[in-house]
Amino acid sequence: MANQPLPLSQETLAQFNRSMSTEPGTSGPPRRRLGSISTRRSSKDQSKDQPHHRPLFLRSMTIPSSESSFLSPTVSNSHISMGKRFSFAGWHQGGRVSFSGLYLQQPIQEVYVENTYRTGPEPGCHFSASRTQQILQATLDSYLKGVCYSPDSCSQLCQMLADLVLSKLKDVNPPRYKVVCQVVVGQSGKQGIRVASRSLMNPNTDNYTSAVFQNHSLFAVALVHGLYFE
Amino acid sequence: MEEYHSGDEVSFSPDDASNVVKECIEGIVGGVDYSQNKVNQWTASIVEHTLTQLVKQGKPFKYIVNCAVMQKSGAGLHTANSCYWDTTTDGSCTVRWENRTMYCVVSVFAVAIAL
Repeated sequence: MANQPLPLSQETLAQFNRSMSTEPGTSGPPRRRLGSISTRRSSKDQSKDQPHHRPLFLRSMTIPSSESSFLSPTVSNSHISMGKRFSFAGWHQGGRVSFSGLYLQQPIQEVYVENTYRTGPEPGCHFSASRTQQILQATLDSYLKGVCYSPDSCSQLCQMLADLVLSKLKDVNPPRYKVVCQVVVGQSGKQGIRVASRSLMNPNTDNYTSAVFQNHSLFAVALVHGLYFE
Repeated sequence: MEEYHSGDEVSFSPDDASNVVKECIEGIVGGVDYSQNKVNQWTASIVEHTLTQLVKQGKPFKYIVNCAVMQKSGAGLHTANSCYWDTTTDGSCTVRWENRTMYCVVSVFAVAIAL
């Protein structure tokens, strides 16, 4: 009470709780007492007696006139007016208030996107295999030039390359395309290796590309697929 | 007739896919040794069979199947992948298989399509 004034609903809640705590158990008595006061006195004399309960009514007076006129009439509505006060407070502050006076979270509003009526990629916005291949080859060459194979670091190098290629492709990626990128790095030895890929996709909209790099100690193969998604 | 899944969004099940892949690998290079002449044929068969089996499931996905077969000679091999997609509906699965003379690594990527 001595502190800066809380929003109305919390003040009234605090008052209500205090009055509740002084009268343990039922919530009937305080209301009845209020009720009894106002039946004994006329509405004009309400402010004179029972200063303990005055604040509640005074609070109601401070609400804009339209609401106070609603609340002032009779007693028997006093406990109802308590409930109404909360709801008015809710309206008053533009948010939704639960019965305990706490604010409810605003419901997350679903975003409805307008229908674009587009069933395929725009002309000129297809996944460009040649441009992607150039980017891929340039990335591999610049990153792996002079690098020696080492079992400890090459697994991280491999993952880093995949992420790097993906981030570069995201910049040039046409909209509505998903990208899958795979990188294989191995030690250059006397072994043979064969990497094959087959995919089920729409040849009109989707494409793939690959690049190979080799030096004295390691080899790398990068595969990128671009898939159209509505 | 194949079933079409309409309405609900189906998400990729990596376990189903890995079982399919293992069966395909076992069937093709199950008990044989690495051979330079035949490796082309093996990799082509593995990817083709795997893709066919996956498509038979009738789910609304585009698939990418990659297979790497490498001779065992003490050299190291690493694979990594990075994907830009919808993580709720799309997924991948990688199966590593080996025998006495070779390693086989098969990766399956499934990208959902809108129905």
